[in-house]
Amino acid sequence: MPVFRKVEIEDPSKLVFGIAKHPLSYGLGLKIGQGEVVPEVKFFPKAISEKDEEAFKKEVESITKDILDRAVELGVGSLQIETEQSFMETKNPRLVAEVTNIQKSVMEKYAGEYGIKLGLRITVADIRDFREGLRHTAEYNLMLEAFEKAASNGADILSIESEGGKDVFNYSILRQDVRGILFSVGLLGPLDMSFLWRDIVGIAKRNSSIPGGDTACATANTAMRIAGGVRSMNIPHTLAAVVRAVSASRSLVAYEEGATGPGKDCGYENVIVKAITGYPMSMEGKSSACAHSSLIGNIASACCDLWSNEQVENIRLFGGSGPQVFLEILYYDCKLMNRAIALGEQNRLRDMLVSSDKFEDPQAFVLSPEAAVEIGKAIVSEKGYYRRGISACFKAVELMENESNLRLSPPEKRFLLNLKKVLETLPDDEDEFREQMCKAFYGRVQTFRERDYWP
Amino acid sequence: MYEELLARLREAIVNLDLDASKSLTKECLEKGIPPSEIVSKGISIAMEEVGKKFESSEYFLSELIVAGEIGKEITQMLKPYLKESEIRKKGKVVIGTVRGDLHDIGKNIFGMMLEAAGFEVIDLGTDVPAEAFVEAVKKNSPDIVGMSALLTVTMGEMENVINALKKAGLRDKVKVIVGGAPITEEFARKIGADAYGKDAVVGVEICKAWVEGKS
Repeated sequence: MPVFRKVEIEDPSKLVFGIAKHPLSYGLGLKIGQGEVVPEVKFFPKAISEKDEEAFKKEVESITKDILDRAVELGVGSLQIETEQSFMETKNPRLVAEVTNIQKSVMEKYAGEYGIKLGLRITVADIRDFREGLRHTAEYNLMLEAFEKAASNGADILSIESEGGKDVFNYSILRQDVRGILFSVGLLGPLDMSFLWRDIVGIAKRNSSIPGGDTACATANTAMRIAGGVRSMNIPHTLAAVVRAVSASRSLVAYEEGATGPGKDCGYENVIVKAITGYPMSMEGKSSACAHSSLIGNIASACCDLWSNEQVENIRLFGGSGPQVFLEILYYDCKLMNRAIALGEQNRLRDMLVSSDKFEDPQAFVLSPEAAVEIGKAIVSEKGYYRRGISACFKAVELMENESNLRLSPPEKRFLLNLKKVLETLPDDEDEFREQMCKAFYGRVQTFRERDYWP
Repeated sequence: MYEELLARLREAIVNLDLDASKSLTKECLEKGIPPSEIVSKGISIAMEEVGKKFESSEYFLSELIVAGEIGKEITQMLKPYLKESEIRKKGKVVIGTVRGDLHDIGKNIFGMMLEAAGFEVIDLGTDVPAEAFVEAVKKNSPDIVGMSALLTVTMGEMENVINALKKAGLRDKVKVIVGGAPITEEFARKIGADAYGKDAVVGVEICKAWVEGKS
């Protein structure tokens, strides 16, 4: 498996939408990272309870047809559909097999009839119950079975939003406890991902699916959501930016265990991961406002290879169903980026997307191509998950401190100074840090158990 | 002398310095300052100041929570020296995200802010069925039940919880507050909740008003 010791994309000008150093071809003729940004549409069905199994299958089939009908009407040439499973679905691998099969059959029909290039990503829900443990539990085995059924029934890409360390993170983020955040995102998350992704990659290989990637949704996006808008004072936005930086070292682990992308859409850290790995990434931003708000709507698209809406409920809007409307929005976003590539103007458009957000909020700033490469380099310059996490934190702080154009309020500046002081007190040694943190969180976070990470 | 020591304690709490707050509390006790005064003239005043800093956007909500944690920890140190009436909790709240919904950010912020405000919080977690809310009310006799939902497809579950409380004869024994992205004042009224918390700050204010008998 690759262990990244240097970034694959060293020149920030090469970090641009639609073009990946290690592109992919899969599914029904789909090409990703080969000079075209492809829309990736994701939906949330209405029927989600156990008793609605038949209704659920019918609804997913109907949503898939709705999306493809709209795609055909618009003349969309390439499209990826993502099905993110609910707990109900993942807990029922038979249903996973049936639903994946239904979707893929519909997609094959449209690909055959209309020549549209298609890919299907299946994201298995992390159904593990922290109280029961994270490894080799009944839920863990069900997750693997869900992956197996998805892969053997037509999933082109396998993904997950894994949640290792989330309990410690939840406790830490609202207390702005930087040590706890680094422990959960920088150490527990990677350890859990390393274990989990070995199994996912094995399943993908056996079934000729592609192990896509993971995301720090459970942590970095939680921080982003809590941080809120420009007037929100829930947590410092500089803290959310640092969480994002360290989350790149976490999401990287999937690729070091054999994933090859395209990375999962809600990993806003994917721009840093793309700089390190050169693999294509799915991203989301302004056109995922249907799912949540963010301050990084434009900059998030600057380096994407797939462009996603995160998730939209299957409701009726004036312009069609939610998934149809958001496919159309994504399509036009992609069309503009693809036209820029065709004209050789991709860097100009990218720079406009970046500069429109970059200095408005620290969370945007750390995702600029220049910052992404710098943070990526800081991560791979260190060995070991913990050291990589600290390195990402320090680099993010340094970049924010040294950028006079970055808009930071006095409380943000005060916090940034305090944050740096805390980082400077951290031990160099991972074992020492582990011992301190296990002692601090044992009993305090009821579900935290050392053996889930160090068996 | 006492006043200077209490001022230093207040300063340590306002500066969110847990270690200094603990050692100054210890010093206050050693110097013979009555524990009730450490609470009333030290911790309470400092907490009010932190609250004001939050209201004036000088402090973050997370700093308000940290101050609450410090207050909780040093009150714990004083517990052996305080009378029962002086350490009584403000009230008891059962909270949870309703069945089918796994989103817990808003619920967690609400829970922590309640704790910081002096409430005892029983957090049932996410994906909580109506029966679990009923059981928790039977077991803990809370003053308030707080429910959260992020999805339009799960918000209806709140009504099921209220109906289950009615069926169990518990509805009149608790106040019910609901919140979450798709929830509105009108929805709260329609399902028979007592209040809608637009955000955690508003939610805590409503709970405080309830237990203080202001509404």
